[in-house]
Amino acid sequence: MTDNIDFKRYWNKQKIETQTPEELIKKANEFKRKTRFKLIVGNIVLLISCIGISFIWFYYQPEFLTTKIGVIIIMTAILIYVAFQSTLMPLLSKRNLEASAKEQLLQLLQLKEKQRFQQTTLLNGYFFLLSLGFGFYMYEYAVRMTFIWAVLTYGIVFFTIALNTFYFRPKTIRKQQARLNKLIAQLKDLKEQLTD
Amino acid sequence: MTFEEIHKVYWPKVYRQCMGYMNDHDAAKDITQETFIKVWQHLPKFRNESSIGTWVFRIAANSCLRQISKDKKMPKSEFPNEIVEEILVNNEPLVEFLYKCISELPEVERIIISLELEELKQKEIAKIVGLTESNVRVKIHRIKEKLTKKFQKHDR
Repeated sequence: MTDNIDFKRYWNKQKIETQTPEELIKKANEFKRKTRFKLIVGNIVLLISCIGISFIWFYYQPEFLTTKIGVIIIMTAILIYVAFQSTLMPLLSKRNLEASAKEQLLQLLQLKEKQRFQQTTLLNGYFFLLSLGFGFYMYEYAVRMTFIWAVLTYGIVFFTIALNTFYFRPKTIRKQQARLNKLIAQLKDLKEQLTD
Repeated sequence: MTFEEIHKVYWPKVYRQCMGYMNDHDAAKDITQETFIKVWQHLPKFRNESSIGTWVFRIAANSCLRQISKDKKMPKSEFPNEIVEEILVNNEPLVEFLYKCISELPEVERIIISLELEELKQKEIAKIVGLTESNVRVKIHRIKEKLTKKFQKHDR
């Protein structure tokens, strides 16, 4: 074979699978609907948990300040978590279509590095607040129990907190970090390829 | 240009670009679709700063590069052999071979050579990927050399 191969000839012979513009527009609308649906479901779950917790507050009329503090802390934890997650999302999808591959790549890389830091801090904070909130919240009910029951209940709660802190939290963080680290490494490799 | 016109002119071009990148018809169709959904969404806001072609190719190139940030589907190597053979649809062997060779190049080189084979000016390719024109020229030369070597080896 010669040195002068006509790659364009082979290139243009590739079989093309097409899709009509109508199909495409339908898909685009479906995609939009699905994204909106996901966002709504996420918010509803949050709303329901908050309503559930406030319901306990109003229905059982807790007398101790600790219970109220507990409820507020738990709600704050959930709200902060969801707020952060949903502010990060649009950042991920919002991008400048006029920018070159290199610019977009650098933006993505920065964002992912920020995300790597945020996720860990956020998750630590979330677990801490949630445990603290439950600790406070439980107090009023534990006081009304017999000693044995109170010990047992707090024992279970502390066990759950310990399980979260020492097992689920590091595990989730490790998983997220591993995924992000791999992605960041790949992005850096691409960046390397795009260096003049 | 209306969306329908853009679709008609650029779908095959973008599809080939994605095929060069992925060498997999399903994946190529998915990324092409993703590209055109973005085109459809952003067309009303398109400011004509660059030609429509450059714009479409840029979205496609970025969609390809973004594939790494998504969870990959089952890698092709995990398919049983019989299915792989079925997937290789009746293209000429050398067409298959060219796309296979291109998809084995580093990511950015795949994009550059695909755009070159779609007869884009080197200046436009440079704008799309964000490299200097001279760098793009050198890269295209090297990629073609690599491909030629592979073809010669294949021929023997």
